[in-house]
Amino acid sequence: MQELIIDINAICHTFSDGYVGIKNISVSISKGEFIILAGKNGSGKTTLLRHLNGLLLPDSGHISVNGHDVSKHLIQTRKTVGMVFQDADTQIVGDTVFDEVAFGLENLKVKRAEINKKVTLILENLNLFHLKDRSPSTLSGGEKRKLAIAGILVMDPEVIVFDEPFSNLDYPGTIQVLSTIINLNQSGHTIIIATHDVETIIYEATRIIIMEKGLIKEDGEPDSIVKYLESYGVKEPCSSKFGLGLQPWLP
Amino acid sequence: MLSAHLPACFFYFLILLLFFKKAGLNFFATLNSIKYFILLLFFIFIARALTVKGDIIFSLYDITITEQSLTEGFLVAFKFFLVMLTGLLFSTTTKPSSVKNAVQWFLKPIPFVPEKRVAVMISLSLSFMPVILKQAKEISDAQKARCANLQKNPVKRIIRLVLPLLKKTFISADRLVFAMESRCYNDDRTDPEFLPSGKEIPFLIGSFIISLSLAWL
Ligand SMILES: Nc1ncnc2c1ncn2[C@@H]1O[C@H](COP(=O)(O)OP(=O)(O)OP(=O)(O)O)[C@@H](O)[C@H]1O
Ligand SMILES: [Mg+2]
Repeated sequence: MQELIIDINAICHTFSDGYVGIKNISVSISKGEFIILAGKNGSGKTTLLRHLNGLLLPDSGHISVNGHDVSKHLIQTRKTVGMVFQDADTQIVGDTVFDEVAFGLENLKVKRAEINKKVTLILENLNLFHLKDRSPSTLSGGEKRKLAIAGILVMDPEVIVFDEPFSNLDYPGTIQVLSTIINLNQSGHTIIIATHDVETIIYEATRIIIMEKGLIKEDGEPDSIVKYLESYGVKEPCSSKFGLGLQPWLP
Repeated sequence: MLSAHLPACFFYFLILLLFFKKAGLNFFATLNSIKYFILLLFFIFIARALTVKGDIIFSLYDITITEQSLTEGFLVAFKFFLVMLTGLLFSTTTKPSSVKNAVQWFLKPIPFVPEKRVAVMISLSLSFMPVILKQAKEISDAQKARCANLQKNPVKRIIRLVLPLLKKTFISADRLVFAMESRCYNDDRTDPEFLPSGKEIPFLIGSFIISLSLAWL
């Protein structure tokens, strides 16, 4: 049995306008898993993800990360669970690439010398170092997404949550981000990806969770679930349709 | 600055030239990059030259050019030119992030001003301006694509542009709050890397003296 890292226990969330975002969700996530959270638009994926690092708190039920209750250990949770948002533009805070990556560490009151060291290392790892003095608004879509990932990675999270990481990316951009994500999983990070287009990542995933109308409908290994995808409004990968099983998307 | 007269302006111009040389900027290349602005200055000069009353040196029908109007026109245009140059010099030699750090450093001794929050606000507005401008462009293009430019009433057109833009900006701000919170934002943060060079105080006094002498000239 793998070591548990996130434990979600019967959570519900109702928005202030009375709309029920998610209902009675229970999931356990172990270290090192690569999870796809699939479902069509409005099925509640983003809402569920925001609970994972305490941006939204459940109305009932509870979540624990590394055994600590999220609502009581917010900072601890946010250091453990990093989150890359759907829209790269609205999560960029700094006015240079370097400052943007340093933002999280500054919040944690890390010493300046150590910030410089860590940021440089991350930028080099993600091949962004040559851009360090550029303004983030002048970057390409793929570079922006990688920058957003860098800003999270620098805080050294164990779990990284991606909300639609491939939206608005062209082919090279998708390859860049995808290989970054795969490397992260191989270096031991737990990955959770919300998407309504599973084709690019299904081969890498160890588990798929399907949501519909705020409920979890399926939860299991990709091979066994892939045939049900289309009944929940998610496109089945071509290779599977043609009877070739799951194929890696990367060339 | 705007009340200063010709000698003061020339004095300031010389100082600016000196700074341009020190910053390693080519003065004429800079002039080239603001050539439309210079054209505008020329029109300001003409407008002034034709309207200010005084001792007539030239007159044709109703058009009169006076001594006062010429100097006045020249002065106004020259002053605008100087302001423009100063701005250019500032923006080409100073990184926005150093401005932010310097502001934080200067605000530190002032009580009741949360200098760290101000610094974050500055950097947020710096990084959000392009996003907001891009959204404004998108909205206006989307409206043009549906022939919104047939609407001749400028007030209605502005309202149509501003309302969706505000809405978008608020939504972006909302998302931004989430993004900042998920990265543990709080006011108690690491200080920026701004090493006071020790020259700030002499520099403050120096610029004060220059302003005084300009006023006196
Ligand atoms: N702040 C809010 N107030 C009220 N309703 C909301 C709010 N945020 C989301 N919703 C609603 O909750 C439902 C689930 O939204 P959510 O963003 O979680 O969907 P999603 O699965 O991420 O969809 P997408 O694929 O479009 O990102 C939607 O119907 C949405 O309208
Ligand atoms: Mg979503």
